[in-house]
Amino acid sequence: MNKSWMKRQSRLGYIFIGPNMLGVLLFFIIPAAYSFYLMFTDYKFMSPETHFIGLANIRRMLGDELFYVALKNTFVFLLAVPISIVLSFIVAVALNKSVYFQKTLRALYFMPYITSGVAVAFVWMLLFQPSSGPINGFLKGIGIAHPPGWLSTTGSSMYAIDIIWVWFMLGYNMIIYLAALQEIPEELMEAAKIDGARPWQIIRRIMWPLVSPTTFLLLITGLIMTIKNFGIIQAITQGGPGNSTTVLSLFIYQNAFRYYEMGYAAAISWALFVIIMIFTVLQWLGQKRWVHY
Amino acid sequence: MRNKKWLTVLTVCVLMLGVLSGCGGNNKANGGEGSNSGPVKLTMWGAVPPENGPQEVVDTWNTAHPDIQVEYVRFVNDDDGNLKLDTALSTGQNVDLYVNYTLTNLDKRVKGNIALDLSGYTDYNIDEKMGADAASWKVDDKYYGMPTKKNSFFFALNKEALDKAGLAIPTAWTWDEAREYAVKLKAEGFKYGLVQHTASLVDPLDSVLVKDGYVKADGTSNMDDPLVTQWLETLNGMMKDDLTTPPLGEQLTSKMPVENMFLGGESAMINIGEWLIRSSNNTTEFPRDFQIAFAPVPRLTGNEADFVKSGGLGDFISINSKSKNKDAAWEFLKWYADGGMLPMAAGGRLPSSNAVDQQTAIDHLLGDHADSYDKESLEFVLYNDKTPTFVRGIAQEIVDMRAQEYEKYFLGNQTAAETVQNMVKRHNDFLKLQGK
Repeated sequence: MNKSWMKRQSRLGYIFIGPNMLGVLLFFIIPAAYSFYLMFTDYKFMSPETHFIGLANIRRMLGDELFYVALKNTFVFLLAVPISIVLSFIVAVALNKSVYFQKTLRALYFMPYITSGVAVAFVWMLLFQPSSGPINGFLKGIGIAHPPGWLSTTGSSMYAIDIIWVWFMLGYNMIIYLAALQEIPEELMEAAKIDGARPWQIIRRIMWPLVSPTTFLLLITGLIMTIKNFGIIQAITQGGPGNSTTVLSLFIYQNAFRYYEMGYAAAISWALFVIIMIFTVLQWLGQKRWVHY
Repeated sequence: MRNKKWLTVLTVCVLMLGVLSGCGGNNKANGGEGSNSGPVKLTMWGAVPPENGPQEVVDTWNTAHPDIQVEYVRFVNDDDGNLKLDTALSTGQNVDLYVNYTLTNLDKRVKGNIALDLSGYTDYNIDEKMGADAASWKVDDKYYGMPTKKNSFFFALNKEALDKAGLAIPTAWTWDEAREYAVKLKAEGFKYGLVQHTASLVDPLDSVLVKDGYVKADGTSNMDDPLVTQWLETLNGMMKDDLTTPPLGEQLTSKMPVENMFLGGESAMINIGEWLIRSSNNTTEFPRDFQIAFAPVPRLTGNEADFVKSGGLGDFISINSKSKNKDAAWEFLKWYADGGMLPMAAGGRLPSSNAVDQQTAIDHLLGDHADSYDKESLEFVLYNDKTPTFVRGIAQEIVDMRAQEYEKYFLGNQTAAETVQNMVKRHNDFLKLQGK
């Protein structure tokens, strides 16, 4: 009796997740499997003939200088994630206590996250304008004769993108941190205070370790989100100047939808997948050392 | 028990699929009915915003031809937009006519068998109507569509500044002369002597390489043509030494609005094409108090006889080879080319067919703003300059890699020699990849 009830229940469960699973199957699993197949072909969109070419795409990728440039740029782009996490933790700690305009400030910090990416891109382009933009105007005003060219030189453009990205993610990370800080039992802080801990020590020894699961979450989601994102770069620099801001995801996009080289793009996609995989596995292994649940 | 679970999952999936495909089927049925009874419906995809002419064109046609109704759909002429069009074409959505803006795009579509070979229609001689320039749009010696528009690229000049500086309107000139003009004109109180639209910036390179060949006789890259280096060094000198043109890095990353800068009196010259007229006719948004004069684009080569300029014909309209209404589409296309497109001339699109009288075209082009242009130099640039023209037809990959290399040069990351070397190397790599 009970058993058949269970059976019916589980059947019902499948019916409930059915529509969702169908979506995942149609729009994720099948395309992913298909792209795995494409990796071994010379398929070009709209081209009538497709041949199986074995590992040629992978060989081409490993011999492609641009692939390595994109890989390097991707790692520079990823720098934004830890920086943004540390900054947002500091902001969250500051805003966790009662300060003036606490609510307004929280809203202000969160604003970038809910603003349209293209609008953000255009505003930053104006700010970073090398000869007459406000940022370099300020830098010249305080006596720096040769401020950086920001987006307009190959050496600085990726770091300029990093600054935008840190600013963009700050609000989201901060909100998550604020929630985590609320969860820290008040007694622990009080006990520390009674023991004579300084504010810095409380932050370092109590708050930071206790929010470490949050940090871990933000790190993993942040890295994955960043490694996949290129919208902001496409809007601002299209990968230039030169190829100084071409990150892997943008490189894939260009190969697939600009040159219609679907097979080659599929191969790079899988390389990107492997990189994300390695990152995630490393973090899971590493978390035992510093994440305290 | 396990099997039964899977059976449930499968049933759900099949049910969902049934529902989904049911929707699709219905749509198809509706579309079919529409084309059987009542007027023929055509869909034309183009990249010009409907309000800039196409809507008026289509409306005029629809009023005169109740049996063939045309609908205009706009796509944006960038990677995403062309991808959208290509997807629509290759998945058999209703696109009957579409506009190709580059040879590169056309080439892909011909290879994908979605452009109709027009040699089946014998009642319209494209070569005769459109002139010798049309032939550069042939693929495998066949017309897979029809060019409809005259491309014109030119230098637009601030006439007032020219007069003040005592400079004549050039009718043929070199980049060295243009560079001098920029210096002298800047001295008249302009921020820049010359700004360049990114679409025509690289034309001098193609001009050289079309003439001398992109590829040498031995099958390797010809990007090390000495004139390529000359172009790099001339522009670099203008950016860094003369300060007469904006540094490229700055222009690209701040998306410099060059038309506004020219019309607003910040720059005395602009390297651009016929689409400038759309902005310069709009005197409410871009008020100006000077006449615009026109000069052909300057050449790199010393010898005038060796010069070919970017131009030729454009707006190459193809009929979808899978269209159900090819004949109706052909009727519309002929009418469009032979003057139906005139409402679009106000945006700079001059009809290329000789069925359209030159004066009518110019009248449409300038509208009520004819006084604010130097008409003689305009007519020279548009019609009387007999310099041979070309249409850029190289792969997007080459355009991009070339741009990446010269950007690095103009930003000071590599020397001109290194730039040329890298271009040659990457071009050769590309050639090897294509040859495989």
